[in-house]
Amino acid sequence: MKSTKARCLLLACGNTLRGDDGIGPWLCAWAEERFSGDSRVEAIGRQQWTPELALDIAEAETVVFIDCSAASAPGSVSVQEVRPAAATQALGTHHVGAPELLNLARELYSSLPRAALLVTVGAGSMDLGEEFSHAVKAAIPEACRLLEKAVLDCLDAASSC
Amino acid sequence: MSQTITIDPVTRLEGHGKVTIYLNDKGEVENAQFHVTQVRGFERFAQGRPFYEMPSLMARICGICPVSHLVASAKACEAIMSVRIPHTAAQLRRMLNLAQMVQSHALSFFYLSSPDLALGMESDPKMRNILGVAAAKPELGRAGIALRRFGQHIIELLGDKRIHPGWVIPGGVTEPLAPAKRDEILAMIPDAYANLSLALNWYKQIADSFKPEAAVFANFPSLYMGLINEDESIEFTDGALRLIDAKGETVEDGILAPRYTEVIGEAVEPYSYTKFAYYKPLGYPEGSYRVGPLARLNIVKSMGTEKADKELAEFKQLANGPVESSFYYHHARLVEMLHGIEKIEAILADPKILDKHVRATAGVNRLEGAGQAEAPRGTLNHHYKVDEDGKIVWANLVIATGQNNNAMNKGVLQAAKHYVNKGKFTEGVLNRVEAVIRTFDPCLSCSTHAYGQMPLVLSLVTPDGEVVDQLVRS
Repeated sequence: MKSTKARCLLLACGNTLRGDDGIGPWLCAWAEERFSGDSRVEAIGRQQWTPELALDIAEAETVVFIDCSAASAPGSVSVQEVRPAAATQALGTHHVGAPELLNLARELYSSLPRAALLVTVGAGSMDLGEEFSHAVKAAIPEACRLLEKAVLDCLDAASSC
Repeated sequence: MSQTITIDPVTRLEGHGKVTIYLNDKGEVENAQFHVTQVRGFERFAQGRPFYEMPSLMARICGICPVSHLVASAKACEAIMSVRIPHTAAQLRRMLNLAQMVQSHALSFFYLSSPDLALGMESDPKMRNILGVAAAKPELGRAGIALRRFGQHIIELLGDKRIHPGWVIPGGVTEPLAPAKRDEILAMIPDAYANLSLALNWYKQIADSFKPEAAVFANFPSLYMGLINEDESIEFTDGALRLIDAKGETVEDGILAPRYTEVIGEAVEPYSYTKFAYYKPLGYPEGSYRVGPLARLNIVKSMGTEKADKELAEFKQLANGPVESSFYYHHARLVEMLHGIEKIEAILADPKILDKHVRATAGVNRLEGAGQAEAPRGTLNHHYKVDEDGKIVWANLVIATGQNNNAMNKGVLQAAKHYVNKGKFTEGVLNRVEAVIRTFDPCLSCSTHAYGQMPLVLSLVTPDGEVVDQLVRS
């Protein structure tokens, strides 16, 4: 289905109808615009991450996962390295996390991206609605800056090999 | 002292439900109920909307089988419009519905049920998931992912979206098929055959080891219903309803959508938000019947495609008459996927498939219309009434999971009676009770999402609320 290997795959997750949960797809769309015309970058925004994305990950040289975080302080932006991990709980019907997706890519396709980063923004509210909370709105410039840096770092990592 | 066992929520299902098992003073299972604990209300909030909005509105019922809702809804609207859609549009819809069936069956078989089949009902619950399958049987995991992507990609190519495509509209489809898309789908067919063959061969190797489960997984006589063509081959998008009895004799045939109320009634129970469909002449609950892959294979004489016909013949060897155990829904699902791939290939060979005439237009010509289609998990009926302006004044949806509701409840009771011994149970027992429900692949609500953890709790509770035993899966 794909003929070229993405140098940097952006993989966002979130429901745009549930307040701050939609920050992942919003940032993904922003990055897609920011890197438009750069064929090395591919963006996929989904409501939930599902197992079949393991193939996209296996075919990418680097991956940046983008999500909101219910565990972080509202509006706090974090970038961290992600490593493959077994499921720590019974997996939900459709949803798998970034570490489990990397694990699936490794188990099924014997392939892992050279770099995998997770960019998160702490959620203030995930109530019904398409607006972000004040904390998340205020964090958008910083989130965009760190996401841009993450993508550029991943492209560097991909081109250095 | 009587007790109650509660499984809440039941895992690896589409949506949210729970199971309650009632024990008597001797610790024997007296009753069991499968509760669907979420309420949707689509029939009510559709009222007042223009009828032509209904397909895209109704598709939101489900994130796994929106195409079936699109098709059934569009057909109900076309009954209101009194139009017959162009041949090419009908073929394109058929292909879309088959693609959805393939991806949905792949989800059910590989993601939800293969952990039980590949790793065992008693295996470590932390590993009993798609990651565990990937570690133990990577070739099976790859096949599952590839087949799901196959179906999803066809839906995306035809409808521009993997989920909730807006391509199907009252009167046909919005756009004809482009040659490049046809060629892209055709190029995926050989891999789809190879992956399906791998899965089918693997299933046949392990199926016999689950004979004890098959004996008590909703293994009882019932009626079976589904859509069928005039030549008695399987049909997912058009055709008419056939009902057969427990001996395989046809009791109703040629039932088109407007006549479904003559044969199908719906009952309500206080413990579930899902209705309980039944065959009217036998009443409720005696008129319990099953729909979906097992039922479809039981009612048809052929699949209408060469490879699947060979598999159907083998499937029918499982019983002398209808195959009764719901465990064999798994087998039936694989046969249907094979048929889906073959049929998609055949549709693309239709010389008229690139025809530009794919839509009929009309306004309101009738004040009532009904449409039916086969969703992956069973027959789906949409029935609408409109006013002179075409606004919906009444809607009723008969959904597959409701039609399997009686059988699921009866199946849970059968398995609980077999496995729960004097009030004692293990995690493996709990999993088998859930696995009975998984065979039906019920769709409680695919479009409803849950936040956070979904712990599984099995509790023994006395009538005064005291928890005497508890098993927690987190």
